[in-house]
Amino acid sequence: MNPDSYLYLSAILFSLGALGVLIRRDAIVVFMCIELMLNAANLAFVTFSRMHGRLDGQIFAFFTMVVAAAEVVVGLAIIITVFRTRRSASVDDANLLKY
Amino acid sequence: MNVTTASVQFTGSAQSYLSPTGVEVAFILIGLVVLGSALLVVTVRNLVHAALWLVVCLGGIAGEYLLLGAELVAWVQILIYVGAIVVLLLFGLVLTRAPIGHTDELDVKHRAPAVVVAAGAAGVLVTVVVDAYRKVWLEPRAAVPLGTGAANGAALFKYWVLPFETLSVLLLAALVGAIVISRRGADGDSDEPESVGTD
Amino acid sequence: MPSILAASTAAASNTAPFTAPHVEWGKLSPMLIVLGAATMGVLVEAFAPRAARYRLQVGLTLLALAAAFAAVIALHDTPTSVAAAGAVAVDKTTLFFQGTILAISFIAVLVIAERRTEGGQDAFAAQGGSVPGSQQEREAVRAGWLTTEVYPLVLFSIGGMLLFPAANDLLTMFVALEVLSLPLYLVCGLARHRRLLSQEAALKYFLLGAFSSAFFLYGAALLYGYAGSVQLSNSDPHNPGIAQAVAAHAHGPALLYTGIALLGMGLLFKVGAAPFHMWTPDVYEGAPTPITGFMSAATKIAAFGALVRVLDVGLAGSVDVWRPVIEIVAILTMVVGGILALTQRNVKRMLAYSAILNAGYIIMALVSTGHDALASLLFFLPTYGIALVGSFAVVTLVRDAGGVEATDLSRWAGLGKSAPIPATLMSIFLLAFAGIPFTSIFVGKFAVFQAALAAGAPQLVIVAVLASAVAAFFYLRVIVVMFFSDPMPDGPTIANPSIAVKTALAVSALVTVAMGVAPAALLHLSNAAAVLAR
Repeated sequence: MNPDSYLYLSAILFSLGALGVLIRRDAIVVFMCIELMLNAANLAFVTFSRMHGRLDGQIFAFFTMVVAAAEVVVGLAIIITVFRTRRSASVDDANLLKY
Repeated sequence: MNVTTASVQFTGSAQSYLSPTGVEVAFILIGLVVLGSALLVVTVRNLVHAALWLVVCLGGIAGEYLLLGAELVAWVQILIYVGAIVVLLLFGLVLTRAPIGHTDELDVKHRAPAVVVAAGAAGVLVTVVVDAYRKVWLEPRAAVPLGTGAANGAALFKYWVLPFETLSVLLLAALVGAIVISRRGADGDSDEPESVGTD
Repeated sequence: MPSILAASTAAASNTAPFTAPHVEWGKLSPMLIVLGAATMGVLVEAFAPRAARYRLQVGLTLLALAAAFAAVIALHDTPTSVAAAGAVAVDKTTLFFQGTILAISFIAVLVIAERRTEGGQDAFAAQGGSVPGSQQEREAVRAGWLTTEVYPLVLFSIGGMLLFPAANDLLTMFVALEVLSLPLYLVCGLARHRRLLSQEAALKYFLLGAFSSAFFLYGAALLYGYAGSVQLSNSDPHNPGIAQAVAAHAHGPALLYTGIALLGMGLLFKVGAAPFHMWTPDVYEGAPTPITGFMSAATKIAAFGALVRVLDVGLAGSVDVWRPVIEIVAILTMVVGGILALTQRNVKRMLAYSAILNAGYIIMALVSTGHDALASLLFFLPTYGIALVGSFAVVTLVRDAGGVEATDLSRWAGLGKSAPIPATLMSIFLLAFAGIPFTSIFVGKFAVFQAALAAGAPQLVIVAVLASAVAAFFYLRVIVVMFFSDPMPDGPTIANPSIAVKTALAVSALVTVAMGVAPAALLHLSNAAAVLAR
């Protein structure tokens, strides 16, 4: 079986995640789309790990998952704090800072 | 739209080499589920549904890991991602009182350029893969001892001790920081602002 | 070094005994001291009485930074080597970066710990989660509560910064990037005043930071696919690293190029280079000012350290490919920073765009993988970082009624008459940013421009000189406003800071001038330190 297929899947998943980050407005859903991108990277790591016959890629995938867990903790804490003071989790409402 | 083109690519590349084995069929089916649910995460207007589709997508990716012989990664994926991260995200949606049902959440002004950018990124990445690994072959039925718990554990604690320990520090920092930023008074009677100012 | 084949066969047969790895504790001691002190800081929060925490935390933080700095000094003549099973490169460049980060963090912590400017309150919210202006918050302030957890969080972040430029593989680098970033996202949202702005800055920094680390990760995956290893360099012929794979032209180059691009996006985001600079002004403006000073200087130094290691060690073999891209990024960064800084009326935002502009100068030093370019970068970073910490420390002193910092430029009118010392100090830092002779950054810029010329990139030097001319205008504008206009009747008050902040300001100003007048010692040091473990 051609390992390309797994990498196509990973590449399209990554792009879909990036698309979501660009078009979504709710901070939590934006974060979900970032999770999609991280998963795409993990899939690429595991595929390459299989192709090279070396475990480094799988180890990297473990680390990514733990880092994602830490990120979600930090992210939700920030999002919920912002929500409490402002009653909205939409990224577009975060407009006190101008461009 | 993305789903159909992707499926054509998958079947195409598979047929050009070998009659579909069980692994390949499974890959294509799971791949379709993953892509379809990912597309729904990105596009569905109901925020809670988006989180639930994320569960399907992440579970499907765990299936792909199993097909690749990475069994430990697959189970950890289920445990951490599906079991912990998505549940936390759902809590987040509940705590921020996300609207259930349809929202105007998706109506961003710059949607068209975003789609163009993402399509471009997908195009580049797919081309890169085509260019890089055209000749590599993967025998699906070959025994793969790589992804077992023992092998992963040995590699982790033999070669990646320092990053592993650093990871524990990261978790501690995230834990403490999350408490600090969201801590309120113990009485916690009313959080209604008396005057919400910018200072 | 990670030979996985051995591990997998061992697992298949289930007979080979597990041998514990050899960890060189001594060589890792700067990081271990800082991270250990951070963990102790968490224990202090748990067990020490509230009244004693502030003193304990500040003392512990400063002591840890000093001890780690001493450890760096003690390690200064260690031979170039890799430690912790190949995860960390201990070479002169690493030690130089670590020493610089520790010294600048020490000064920054003196400013972070300041309580006197606001009558016993520091720059952080008494309780991060309470709604600004609520009864609850007033009670917390009245009770004198302080968010002393900021110090362990800052220490965690510094620990990540120490590991970031030392990481010899992309996995360690990724973990270090997150250890560096996550605590910073959080402390950005803890400002006592202008809390909404601060929390939104934290949200923006977090979302964009997570987005950029996803790019870093995918880039790392593609490079892993290309090289079959995540190590930047490994001289063992059985386990070639990325550098060896690049030299041997392992697979199709497209994978390599795309990997470099995605990895580069993640790293350039952290240094605030255009077109990945969008977060910089907002986060710099929203974060508590002492934290802005700390992260603008220290994060930038650490991120440039990581960039140097990736480009000069891992990808030196494909310099022809990434060099034009780096040149374009440098030009874009200088143009964006210079032009947008002109339009700013807020001192913090102006300093943020000036930081983007200066990142452009530093990126110029990356176009060559040679010794001189690295030495010029090593000279520029500490001199620039210390002036940055000093300039943000001055910003913390200028307060409007109610203790809010007066960051609008018009409020600074006549500051030179009402508060000559802070105004003079600010002028020293601004003149240094502008690259006026006899200041440290003049020497640094000169070295960087020379290195870029030697590397055959005169177009960069032309853009940099033009950008410097533009920059001189907006730096001098602040000085003109301070010294040549009359003070407003209801103008801001100048806080009388504690001896710690006075020391920090004096040291920053002194170093800025001294390194401009007599740069020989630091030039010599940065020249000697430009040695990488390849």
